[in-house]
Amino acid sequence: MITLDALTKIFPGGVRALDAIDLTIADGEFFALLGPSGCGKTTLLRTIAGLEIPTSGRVHIDGADVTALPPGRRDIAMVFQDYAIFPHMSVAENIAYPLRIKKTPRAERTRKATEVAARLSLTELLLRRPAQLSGGQQQRVALARAIACHPAAFLFDEPLSNLDARLRLEARTFLKRLQRDLAVTTVFVTHDQAEALALADRIAVMSHGRMIQIGTPADIFQRPATTFVASFIGSTPMNLLPATFRDGALHVAGAVRAGAPGLTGGDDLLYGVRPEYMTLSATERGDGIPGTVAVHENLGTGVLVTLEADGLLIQAVAPEGDEPPLGTRRWAVPARSLLYRDGRLIA
Amino acid sequence: MIRHTVGRLVSTVVIALTLALFALPMLWLAAAPFDASPAITASLPQFTLDNFAAILDNPYALGSIRNSLIQGGGAAVLVVVLAALAAYALSRVRVPGRDLLLYLLLLLSSVVTGTAAMVPIFELATRLNLIDTHLGVILVVSGGLLPAAIFILKDFMDETPTSYEESARVFGASPLQILRDIVIPLVRPGLATIAVWALASVWGGFLFQFILLRDPDKAPGSVILYTLYTEGGSPKLDLISTFSLLYSLPVVLMYLFVSQRYGFRFHGGIKR
Repeated sequence: MITLDALTKIFPGGVRALDAIDLTIADGEFFALLGPSGCGKTTLLRTIAGLEIPTSGRVHIDGADVTALPPGRRDIAMVFQDYAIFPHMSVAENIAYPLRIKKTPRAERTRKATEVAARLSLTELLLRRPAQLSGGQQQRVALARAIACHPAAFLFDEPLSNLDARLRLEARTFLKRLQRDLAVTTVFVTHDQAEALALADRIAVMSHGRMIQIGTPADIFQRPATTFVASFIGSTPMNLLPATFRDGALHVAGAVRAGAPGLTGGDDLLYGVRPEYMTLSATERGDGIPGTVAVHENLGTGVLVTLEADGLLIQAVAPEGDEPPLGTRRWAVPARSLLYRDGRLIA
Repeated sequence: MIRHTVGRLVSTVVIALTLALFALPMLWLAAAPFDASPAITASLPQFTLDNFAAILDNPYALGSIRNSLIQGGGAAVLVVVLAALAAYALSRVRVPGRDLLLYLLLLLSSVVTGTAAMVPIFELATRLNLIDTHLGVILVVSGGLLPAAIFILKDFMDETPTSYEESARVFGASPLQILRDIVIPLVRPGLATIAVWALASVWGGFLFQFILLRDPDKAPGSVILYTLYTEGGSPKLDLISTFSLLYSLPVVLMYLFVSQRYGFRFHGGIKR
């Protein structure tokens, strides 16, 4: 279990990379730190590792306060973005290096390295140098080296970002299965929302050194707590349309929708709908947003259709082969809508 | 087409002439030691090995090569060790004014040459009882080589990603283990370069050795070469050429060895 307590990091020069972060990561959990670059996610990971010293706050790993301990005494293993496999050592030497530091006898070291390598199908490569390995193999060596030290927690910094797109999907499945089998608490950093949704048991979305939302992938995808999270999560950006509430109904870009219970009047609302949950109607509907079809973007299994409505752009995903012709009039009917006021989710 | 051919021809001739100009001294060095009566021109020798017998009879010749090895090797070791530690620290720790410090050191070491600083250095060496010792020569020449060595090695260290060291730190390696297991193997080509360069500089160095050493038994080859003159002051070309050849060989061999072992080898494998 990893517990962070009001963790703050201010870099020399005054940049506040972490702003009073409180977080508890459960045993065996696969936890993602997600956010755009510069949001503090890597700094947070490095602070848990002990590579950065927090300005204030505490880090606990398995109940022990490790804030003042050097990285080597925290019982963690880290996989770096560039994997940091030592180029002058063979694969076997790389995997055994943590054990060499722990003064494990040579025979034991070799035995363990061979065992871990077999598990990650690296047996054929044990005598190779890192320069002779492909990106995916290098990633597995870095993982094997981390597994060989039997840590209380794994820390992964952008574990998939150095792989090409096709390999990334394979490696993602592999990583998820490996983590499930090992059942070791794992924290990983990513800027890719799809990666976070696919891998993690829980996700923390970060921005400007703060946690914006912590939840399961389903929570975060279905009910983003702020408009920032709403626009960051999802492979197509969420429609966020200005809306007004009056006379017990919600007016959104020409459509009249039922209001949520307890909603008070005002014109400062944002109405959020994911393009995947928008359906396009060819006949006029009072609860549909009228617009003209302006752009088609093929997504493979569907088509992202952009409607133009009085200067607003509304996106909807139409089923494959069923996209309305360009220039025709359509009514976008929302489902699973969300309401935001001052950037926060209210209904 | 013709203009192109003529251009190629002219450039080839110019390059050949330039090469010949630089090759002549080498030819002389290769031919003169085997010549019964060498002159300052390169010519086909009247073959003899007498010159080698004569130089081996010189009481200081062989000893001077040993002295050169002690002084050059000592300086190379000292420069590599100190420069590696300093460059590592300067590369990894944020020191205010670090670059200014490096550039100033480099500038001073090239502007304030040994000749200009000779009097105070001699005075210092006298007070420290370092006159006429190998240690004195090693310390003084190492001091002169260090700024450039630190500067070059810092570049090598800067190019090594810190994630290697951080990775080792997370596994619990101590700073000395990191230096021994990770950093030194990674910058080994740089260390070899500095060692060769330091040794070669000391090997050919004359002024400090000439001034700091009194006893000809401790003089290095570069100083002994200066004694191979007749009483009348004219150079004994047979001995000078033979000794020059013998004296160059260790450096050439070392260069070949290091170049074969460390030359142009690249580590790493991930696109950055």
